[in-house]
Amino acid sequence: MLVAWRYRQRARSFIQSFDPRAWIMFYGCFLMSTLAFWDVRFLLPFAGITLFVLLTSGVTWNEIRRAFLFIVGFVLIFAFFTFLTGRGGMELYEQEHLIRRLEASFSILGWTPALDITVERAFFGVSQFVRVFSIAIMTILIPYSLNPALYGITFRGLGLPDKIAYAMDLTMRFIPTFSRDFQLTMDAQKARGFELEKIQGGLFAQVRKLGPLMVPVTIHAIIGSEDIIDAMDLRAFGTGPRTWLQKLEYKTKDRILIGVGLAVLLVSLALSTLGLGDFWVPPGLLALAGGG
Amino acid sequence: MSASPLVVENLSFRYRDRAGTAVHDISFAARAGEILLIAGASGCGKTTLVRAINGLIPRSYKGEMSGRVLIHGEDTTAMKLSAISQKIGTVLQDPERQILGTKVLNEVAFGLENIGLARAEIFRRVDEALAHLKIEDLRDRDTFLLSGGEKQKVALAGVLAMRPSILLLDEPLASLDPASAAETLDAVRLLADEGMTVLMVEHRVEDVLRIQPERVLYMTEGVIRYLGEVAGLSKVVNYREVKLPAEDIIRRAQKDSAPAEIQILPGAPAPRSGDEALVRFEDVTFGYESDVEVLHGINLDIKRGDVIAVLGPNGSGKTTFVKHAIGLLKPKSGRVLVDGKDTREATVAEIAKTLGYVFQSPSHMLFAPTVREELAFGPSNLKHSKNEIETEVKEALRIVNLSEYEQDPPLSLSFGQQKRVSIAAILAMRSKILAMDEPTAGQDYRNYMNFMDSILQLPGFEAALFITHDVDLAVIYANRVLLVADGRLIADGAPHEVLRDFSRLEACRVIPSSLLALNVKRFSETGRFLRAEALAHV
Repeated sequence: MLVAWRYRQRARSFIQSFDPRAWIMFYGCFLMSTLAFWDVRFLLPFAGITLFVLLTSGVTWNEIRRAFLFIVGFVLIFAFFTFLTGRGGMELYEQEHLIRRLEASFSILGWTPALDITVERAFFGVSQFVRVFSIAIMTILIPYSLNPALYGITFRGLGLPDKIAYAMDLTMRFIPTFSRDFQLTMDAQKARGFELEKIQGGLFAQVRKLGPLMVPVTIHAIIGSEDIIDAMDLRAFGTGPRTWLQKLEYKTKDRILIGVGLAVLLVSLALSTLGLGDFWVPPGLLALAGGG
Repeated sequence: MSASPLVVENLSFRYRDRAGTAVHDISFAARAGEILLIAGASGCGKTTLVRAINGLIPRSYKGEMSGRVLIHGEDTTAMKLSAISQKIGTVLQDPERQILGTKVLNEVAFGLENIGLARAEIFRRVDEALAHLKIEDLRDRDTFLLSGGEKQKVALAGVLAMRPSILLLDEPLASLDPASAAETLDAVRLLADEGMTVLMVEHRVEDVLRIQPERVLYMTEGVIRYLGEVAGLSKVVNYREVKLPAEDIIRRAQKDSAPAEIQILPGAPAPRSGDEALVRFEDVTFGYESDVEVLHGINLDIKRGDVIAVLGPNGSGKTTFVKHAIGLLKPKSGRVLVDGKDTREATVAEIAKTLGYVFQSPSHMLFAPTVREELAFGPSNLKHSKNEIETEVKEALRIVNLSEYEQDPPLSLSFGQQKRVSIAAILAMRSKILAMDEPTAGQDYRNYMNFMDSILQLPGFEAALFITHDVDLAVIYANRVLLVADGRLIADGAPHEVLRDFSRLEACRVIPSSLLALNVKRFSETGRFLRAEALAHV
């Protein structure tokens, strides 16, 4: 059975005060606008919007703690590895200003491992953190704030055909369902003495030993899909235009939100086209690093 | 004959990937306003017959089909599934496999939305269907938070809202507590009395007989063995294959020889005073969410020689309680000791050496390419030797009657067989305590009685525990019964002490069966609870 995200109606929630279609459209504009910039000065307002939406969402710390810490941890690690390797950023800057070079005290076949800490790498890591953090937090707020009973009609209202809109509804619920099935399988295999943390061997052997988890979860997902298709067929799904029980109606504030989203997107695209908002490093830092 | 709402003529079907026909030359007509009970052992073709009637065969399940199904005189071969589904409503065995909506309102409205009715009409029909089943209070609830019984009624409401003239119910009672099953059956009786044709596939024949089905269709090996009045059923069926009321079994069994005495847990050492408990619950409370407690102050010991039946309604905390014993859940307060060790300080794998737990659903654990490898998985994790594993696997397969499937992929077996593989997989681990969650769900009567007999006669176990909705399992096999409701232990004692208080049972949504009533009545004569075959010879 498909389960839904932990949604509940929250008093005085900014995000929930809008029509879900308006919010999805605003979210789409926000996403594309954020992706248009690498300049942290341009990204900070988006991070500000994210924090405002988060703090006014009515979602409690207890509810979001695990997801929030996981995402922030993931984004931090991601940004840190970017800082270490410089990958991704090298396309955005041509020159690097060295702050310090850390060299290992040993060599391997004449090669000495070294880490160049440069102003560009450090600031690229910061920019990337702000960018991904803003997008990720805005994204995880959606399942907490969008009524699962309205998934289908929301996508239908955004212009998708009936079948695709209902498929999107089912897809939105697949992730929490998969997570529940994974936990059930994990419990069932633990009760048979299986210990994930004690898996040993090479990469191939380790992947093979994940079979007791991955096979039941996959098979369950396939069987579950077949059940869903049967259940839909048995109740005449897809035979003609369908009526959607819930009705959504835009209010003035929804139109304003969509307008603001579109305006932000247009301005962002225009600035980006004009070459503004590209990767930027504070000149003061360059001076400190001895550059110009 | 064509005036009947449903006519099946010479129906045969063979699944594309299986040898032999699943149903063969089936012919019958169902009348308006009758309940036709379809009974038979697992694999007799009941579900195939249901699929052929509701149109999933041949549309979703491919194979060779001959004969025809007529609905109000119209051959279903030429009809679209959507047209069939407006005349025949199907409720599947497991409501979890049928419910699509996130809210009850959306779920009940789903079919009506699909046929494009106006909103006002949809709301009217939804409210009507909910009122018919007396579940108006569920209208705005989340479907995935409902109990098993509530889910089944919501699935039924979703079908009724389409106003079909024929209702197909495929084992609708399988996951329900006795009171929920009785309520579902009463609702079905009412629908038939209003003129609906009801075909009900069900293993729990005794329960269905209470609502007086007009006729019974009894199948074995894909063919009809009996079709007629209920009164004639007990004459044609093997009382060891289909669960009949205890009085009928006693009448029939008196003509046969007395059954062999079952020695429960022969290897368990006799309990001595001062024996340390195998499992101890000390004032255990638990909640999945911080502000909602689902177990309240549970105190109990599981000792050597205990065969415990855990009874209680859907959603009462039975599974949560047992998951504490295996360490999958840790108490919010209090503690659980297994072999004297706090479960907070032991891994589940370590506890599994003491307590083997068979989950309710086999599909969450089966993964291996062969049944043999599936069964060897647990013992290998517990570092048993190769020779031991060989013996344990063979023995477990013999007990669940699956020796001939040793080299088959478990996932290719039927649900009932998969359930037996899941039980065998835990049996092979030879833990000291065997815990089973609904071991008989989806099994036919002969199979589950056979494996319960075999499991509980195994010499290796020191104690056993099973969660069940089947009161008769508690009557026949348990020497201790726990009655659980609302996360509390309502009663804990010998079956003849706990099960004789019918009003307390009913308050916990457990309905006394005919076997229990007879045992209570004859207890002064027998001195213990017995199965019907044994009662016939007292």
